[in-house]
Amino acid sequence: MERKLEKFFYDDNIVKMFIMATLFWGGAAFLVGLIIALQLAYWPLNLNLDFLTFSRLRPLHTNAAIFAFAGNAIFAGIYHSSQRLLKTRLFSDFLTKLHFWGWQTIILAALITLPLGFTQGKEYAELEWPIDLMITIIWVVFAVNFFGTIARRREQHLYVAIWFYIATIVTVAMLHVVNSIEIPVSFLQSYPVYAGVQDALVQWWYGHNAVAFFLTTPFLGLMYYYIPKAVNRPIYSYRLSIVHFWALVFIYIWAGPHHLLYTALPEWSQTLGMIFSVMLWAPSWGGMINGLLTLRGAWHLLRTEPIVQFLIAAVTFYGMATFEGPLLSIKSVSALGHYTDWIIGHVHGGALGWNGFLAFGMIYYLVPRLWGADGMYSKKLMSYHLWIALTGILLYYISMVSAGITQGLMWRAISPTGQMTYPDFVQTVNAIRPLYWVRVFGGLLFITGYFIGIYNIWKTIAMGKKVSPVEQQAYALTFKDDSNENAHRKLEGLGTVFTVLVLVSVIVGSVIEILPTLSIHKHLPQDEQILPYTALEQLGRDVYVTEGCYVCHSQMIRTYTPDVIRFGPSSTIAESMYDHPFQWGSKRTGPDLARVGGKYPDLWHYRHMVDPRSMNNQSIMPAYGWLETKKADFYSLRKKLSVLRTLGVPYTDEQVSQADIWAEKQAEEVAAQLEKDGAPAGLKDKKIVALIAYLQCLGKKAKTGTDTSKWNNFPFKKVAGGEQ
Amino acid sequence: MSDNPNDKYDVVLDHEYDGIQELNNPLPMWWLWTFFGTIIFAFIYWIHYSVGGGMSLDGHLQAQLQQIEEQKQLEAKNQPQKNEADLETLPKNAAVVAQGNKVFQMNCANCHGDKGQGGIGPNLTDNYWIHGDGKMTSVMATIKDGVLEKGMPSWGPIFKPEEIEALAAFVVNLRGSNPANAKAPQGEDKGS
Ligand code: HEC
Ligand code: HEC
Repeated sequence: MERKLEKFFYDDNIVKMFIMATLFWGGAAFLVGLIIALQLAYWPLNLNLDFLTFSRLRPLHTNAAIFAFAGNAIFAGIYHSSQRLLKTRLFSDFLTKLHFWGWQTIILAALITLPLGFTQGKEYAELEWPIDLMITIIWVVFAVNFFGTIARRREQHLYVAIWFYIATIVTVAMLHVVNSIEIPVSFLQSYPVYAGVQDALVQWWYGHNAVAFFLTTPFLGLMYYYIPKAVNRPIYSYRLSIVHFWALVFIYIWAGPHHLLYTALPEWSQTLGMIFSVMLWAPSWGGMINGLLTLRGAWHLLRTEPIVQFLIAAVTFYGMATFEGPLLSIKSVSALGHYTDWIIGHVHGGALGWNGFLAFGMIYYLVPRLWGADGMYSKKLMSYHLWIALTGILLYYISMVSAGITQGLMWRAISPTGQMTYPDFVQTVNAIRPLYWVRVFGGLLFITGYFIGIYNIWKTIAMGKKVSPVEQQAYALTFKDDSNENAHRKLEGLGTVFTVLVLVSVIVGSVIEILPTLSIHKHLPQDEQILPYTALEQLGRDVYVTEGCYVCHSQMIRTYTPDVIRFGPSSTIAESMYDHPFQWGSKRTGPDLARVGGKYPDLWHYRHMVDPRSMNNQSIMPAYGWLETKKADFYSLRKKLSVLRTLGVPYTDEQVSQADIWAEKQAEEVAAQLEKDGAPAGLKDKKIVALIAYLQCLGKKAKTGTDTSKWNNFPFKKVAGGEQ
Repeated sequence: MSDNPNDKYDVVLDHEYDGIQELNNPLPMWWLWTFFGTIIFAFIYWIHYSVGGGMSLDGHLQAQLQQIEEQKQLEAKNQPQKNEADLETLPKNAAVVAQGNKVFQMNCANCHGDKGQGGIGPNLTDNYWIHGDGKMTSVMATIKDGVLEKGMPSWGPIFKPEEIEALAAFVVNLRGSNPANAKAPQGEDKGS
């Protein structure tokens, strides 16, 4: 058969654009990170401005780091390497452009909406429904463009990097769509269809696998391209690639519940999460081994070539993080580390060390090639970047792990008779504040490295000569008979079958874990069930979500002695069965709030929200002064309650149609009492009253003996949804 | 093993992608055994906690709480119950009152005012008491158990018995101190 030689050009312009976006948004993500690190070390930097408060900025930081910095970096690398590995130009120039500008628009939308408090209150999935929709569309654009490129390839078999890209695209689509099923109540607000424990499970299935399939698999793919390219050595083991790829893809998806150990999540599910996390250790290290050993015979480059240093440092951090992950998933280790800054240290080892260094290594490799310079402007500056950033990451990591372990040990210090050694929560925060300053310093170093990099890149680009696209040549794809090859080799020639197998691998674990939990609330015994929130409480809950209190406060008392002694009986599934979204939280910079209802008088909360230091002079909590001046939106309540009712919250017709009226009545009563006790007059239509009503009902919604149950059925009729 | 061509080291496969080649090295043994090891561990762990009678987290919690409860009762038995006569001298003991003041400023002043003049909580310097008669045993009981429906926390689980005595001594000692901005009396007049 005659083979036809074809000529074509790579699209490198898009790679340049994504690199620029990576650098730009990366800087923004790091700076916001530095600001929020400072805010924890020194609370006055919250500046009493709602949109600059820690709890509004932290979601911005996490989203920017993941989706803007890492996201743009993987798009740059995937588009650059895939064209070369598949020997073809990207499928469609239009889709490529649409992908780029669509993604930047999403980031811009996040940058505006998150500080303004438009959030769903689910970590790394905070963005509201119109933006969720945009993400879905742009992801489909990316997928079509990528699979179209595979379809047009001139290389029969798919290289391991492409396997990882496929896994990324397919799984992220699934995660995003399933976790974002929500019903809008207004243009920028929605409630997720899942409640309480279901929402927790779906969210952490998503959250954990966002780490897996957004921050791990694509970066492994990049590693499989840029390391052999940079050191010019063959991949250490093809067989290892196959085994660790499939093991990783199959096992990762099960590990989500390790974020929910000791919580109200059914224990079998927690156990699955733990054992699959442990089994994940070796498959992860398979990637590290293949990356490191590819350097065999070229170790000397590690002494002289900063690009190689970046890449190898990245892989080393990957190895550390994927050892620490399984360790933290062991129940007894999680008991100590969960809710503490240890977890924050862990993710930054991964994000700054693995993702950050790999991205910078790749960018240093690409910039001279794409902008027509012979090498980077200064090797020395690259080295400075590496060593300064490395010192920064180590300071960050060590300070946060020490902080986490210190605080974890202080929380669990209890005498044989159950006396807490550190009864005042704030003592445990103060103990680690010096370490918050060390972290600030570490972050500052990392950013210094970044700016050195920017300068170096800018100089390199200035040095570059104009490059005109180089014409490429390759034979048109004719499928060779590969029937004598092994099964996997054959599979590598079948893009569609390969993709379907990946999809099946990630669906198995997802279905087995999530499906049983979807009906869990139906099986709760009647006497355990609780009353739904009153209209005012629900309004207050929305304030809680908007302000992002969940970034510092958990609402989940674990089945764990020190938690029970400090905060009261462990939280039950029933207690969050009407929570759309769940607010169990993942970090305790402040105390757990699941049973804070009734712990303090309303006036205490009023003063504490306006000025936390007036109630606890050591507190580092931001002041939320605007809550006493901004008006609560009672009129939205009918719509909100009716949406919640369609989601299964047992509101009566009357409760829905009168929602705003009843809420106002309850607010009047709370405000009147506050005023009598010494708060200023005129609070009844302010957000703070709704928030106080919500805080005071936490842990108090059992069907018997609630103070506020009358407000479920104003004016004082027999409780309808209640005694069935 | 070495007869198997698959186990030869550093055989370059005839794949090539944009110049990248791949070796066909066997899986490192230590790696493979780590993987198998974790799978075996996972299997045994699962069996143990699903059908093997491994203790549930809640079982574990209940056992620990029970142990604490027993320890508490033991301690209570060994500690002689103090009555009013044993305690009434404490408010005159400057060292004890000073210690009580320290704990009070950190934990109580936000609600009761730094001089006990009242704020969110009632004035503790007057002759009026909502609970009990303002004597040591009654004040200690209020501090220990709190008034949970009214937002007075229970401090029993938090402070050691000596600290509660010191707090109460400080509070009793406040009576008649007439601080500025005192909150209006609440409760019943129990005389001086
Ligand atoms: C920067 C982290 C942070 C944020 C954000 C934060 N808090 Fe706090 N919060 C704390 C700390 C630390 C404490 C403990 C010291 C204190 O009482 O102020 C605390 C204490 C509390 C308490 C008292 C709990 C108890 O049992 O004593 C309540 C109630 C509370 N916060 C509510 C909120 C609400 C509502 C929001 C959101 C509007 C919020 N917090 C946001 C850190 C935070
Ligand atoms: C969160 C606010 C708050 C804190 C903190 C607080 N109290 Fe109270 N306290 C109250 C309230 C409210 C009452 C009134 C209860 C009632 O109306 O029945 C009260 C009542 C009392 C009483 C009984 C007064 C009477 O008239 O019978 C005593 C004694 C007392 N507190 C002592 C303390 C001590 C000692 C501390 C510190 C260890 C403390 N309180 C901390 C809010 C608080």
